[in-house]
Amino acid sequence: MTANPSIQRKNFWSGLGVAAVAVLLLAWVIPTWGGRGFAVGMHPRTLATLGAWVMLGCALLLSLVSAIALLRAREPFAARLDLLGLWHQTWPFLYVLAFIVAIDRLPLTWVAPALIAGLLLILGERRWHVLLLTAAIPTAALYGLTVHLMRIGVV
Amino acid sequence: MSVDAIFNSFAAAFHYESIAVILGGVLLGYIVGVIPGLNRAVAIAIAIPLTFYMSAYAAIAFLIGLSKGTAAGSAVSAILLNTPGEPSSAATCLDGYPMASAGKPRKALKVGLLASVIGDLLATLLLIAVAIPFASVALKFGPYELAAILIFALVFIAGMAGGSFLKGLAAGGMGVILGTVGLDPETGTMRLAFGYAELMEGVPILPLVIGTLALAEMFVQLDEYRRSKGGSVIKLGKEADDDLSWQEFKGTLPTIFRSTGVGAFVGALPGLGPSVGAFMAYGLAKRTDKDPDSFGKGNPKGIAAAEASDNAVIPASYIPLFGLGIPGSVSAALLVGAFMIHGIQVGPLMLRDHPEMLFTLFSGMIVASVLMLAVGWYGLRLFAKVTSVPSHIVIPVVIFLCLAGIQVQGYGTFGLITVFVFAIFGYFLKKFDYSFVTFLVAFIVTPMLEMNLRQSVILSGGDIAILLDRPIALAFVIFTVLMALHLAWSSYRQWLRKRLAAPKA
Repeated sequence: MTANPSIQRKNFWSGLGVAAVAVLLLAWVIPTWGGRGFAVGMHPRTLATLGAWVMLGCALLLSLVSAIALLRAREPFAARLDLLGLWHQTWPFLYVLAFIVAIDRLPLTWVAPALIAGLLLILGERRWHVLLLTAAIPTAALYGLTVHLMRIGVV
Repeated sequence: MSVDAIFNSFAAAFHYESIAVILGGVLLGYIVGVIPGLNRAVAIAIAIPLTFYMSAYAAIAFLIGLSKGTAAGSAVSAILLNTPGEPSSAATCLDGYPMASAGKPRKALKVGLLASVIGDLLATLLLIAVAIPFASVALKFGPYELAAILIFALVFIAGMAGGSFLKGLAAGGMGVILGTVGLDPETGTMRLAFGYAELMEGVPILPLVIGTLALAEMFVQLDEYRRSKGGSVIKLGKEADDDLSWQEFKGTLPTIFRSTGVGAFVGALPGLGPSVGAFMAYGLAKRTDKDPDSFGKGNPKGIAAAEASDNAVIPASYIPLFGLGIPGSVSAALLVGAFMIHGIQVGPLMLRDHPEMLFTLFSGMIVASVLMLAVGWYGLRLFAKVTSVPSHIVIPVVIFLCLAGIQVQGYGTFGLITVFVFAIFGYFLKKFDYSFVTFLVAFIVTPMLEMNLRQSVILSGGDIAILLDRPIALAFVIFTVLMALHLAWSSYRQWLRKRLAAPKA
C-alpha cells in the first residue's frame, strides 16, 4: 500500500481488471467449462470457484483501497495516455506473434535468422558481422540439435 | 536405506558423467548469471527443454548446477558493472562496485566467489541434515495435515513474496484456477479445457514457465531497453595489490558464517527469496561491524555478507521442497516441473520411493558447490569479458531459444500460441507487480492440494469437527487464519502510516 499516485492508479485499474476476469470466470467460464458430474467428495468446480472468489475479493479490496487513496490525494483516476510508450510496449508482442505465424508455416531453422537479425536491426545493431554471427550461431545449433534428435529417433 | 546404498548414491554423483553434467549446468549458469538481465528463472525455464533427453538424475543435477551457477555468477556483473545479474545481487553492488572502482576488482570478485561457495556449501549440508528428518515426519502426515500445510504455505508465500498481500492472494487464486485445468481425477470430466485435447492433462508446464518467465521477461526488457543506458565495465588488471590475501579473507569469515545462517533461515521459509536474505545479511553485517561507515565504500565484508546469504538461500529453499513437497521459490517450483516431466513426485514421497535418487541429488549438490569454486576461480577473466555482452544481442537470442524450446518438444502451434498467451499474462503480472512466485507455486501445488482436500472431505464426511482429532492439521488451520489476519493488519498499518506521512493536498 503506497501513497504514490501512479502506483495507486495502477493498483486501482489492475484490481478492476482482475475483478472483471474473476466475475467472468464465476458467471460463465467455470459454470460452463468447469466440469460436471456427481462427485462423492468435492465437486470438480469447487477449487476453481474458490480461486475465483479469492481473486474477486482481493481485487475488489485492492481497487477500493486505491480508489480511497486517490480520492484523498485529489489525484485523477486516469493519467494521460502515453501513446508512444504504449507502442513501445506493444510492438515486441506483434513482432513475436508475426514470427509465430511464420513458424506455423515454415521450418523454424528458416525463420530463426530473420527473427534474430530483424530484432537486432530494430534495436540499432548495424555491424554486419555481429548480425550475421548472432543470427547464424543459434540457428546452426538448433539445426544440429534437430538433426541429432532425428537420428536418435526422438523427433 | 542402508549405509551401502547411501555410499553408492554418493559414488554415482562423483562419476565423471555426472560431474560433466553438473559442470555444464554450473558453467551455463555462471554465464547466464554474469549477463545482466538474464536471471535464474529465465535460465531454468529455457534449459528445461534441453533436459528432456537426459535421465531424471542428470536433468535435475544439471538444473541445480545451473541454479547455483547463476547465483554465484550474478556477483560478477554486480561488481564490475554495478548492475546485478540477479536482483538478489543488488546488495553486492553496494560494496562490490566501489571496491572494483578503487582498483581492486579481482579482490572483490574473489571475496564474492569464496563467500558464495562457502554459503552454498554450508546451506547444502544443512539441507541434507534437515530435509531427511523433515521428510520422515511428513511421511506420517495424512490428507488433513497435508491440505492444511499447503494452504498455510500458499498464504505465507502470498504475504512474504514482496509487494501487496492482496495482489499475492489474487495471484495465488489465478494459479489455483489454472492448476485445476484438465481431467478431473475423480469424475473424469474435462475442466476448463474449452474442447482442446491438448489441455487434457492440464496446462502444459513448459509453455507456461517459458511464456511467463522467459518470454515475458524479454518483453519487459525490450520496453526498458529504450530507457536504459549501458554502464561502463571495469576491466581486470594485473596490479599486485589486487589479489586476495589469506589475512584479508580470514577477516571476512565470521561475516560469511553469520550471513550463511541468515540466508539459510530466509531460504527455509517459503516465499521470501534471496534478495531479502542478501539485504538482511548485509544490514546485519553493517550493524555488527566496528566500522559501519566503511560499508558502501568498498568493504569486503559487505560483499561477503551479501554473497554468502544470497547463495545460502538457494539450497535452503529446497528444505520445504524435499521435506514437505512445497516449492518455496520460483526456482524450486521450476524444479518440481522438471521432476514432473520425468515422472517423479518431489517431496517426502521421494524418500520412500526414490531414496537413491534423493541421496545422489544431495551429493550432486555438493559436487556443484565445489565446481562453482573451480569454474569461478579459473574463469574469472572470461566471465569479466562476458559482462560486456550487450542486452540488444541477448534479447533476440533468448526469444529465439524460447520459441525453439517449445518447437523442439513437439508442442507445435498449440504450444507456440500457449507460450505467447502466457507471455502476455506474465508481462502483466510483472508490470502490475502481482506476485509471480505465489502464482507459480499455487499452480504447481494445486493438484496435490485438491487431492488432499478431496480425501479429507471424503474421510470426514464433510464434518469439520474432525479437525479436533488432528492437532497438527488444526494448528496449521489456526496458523493460516492468524497469518492472514496479521498480514492484513500490517498492510493496513503500513497504508495508514504512509497516508499520515504524505503531505496534505
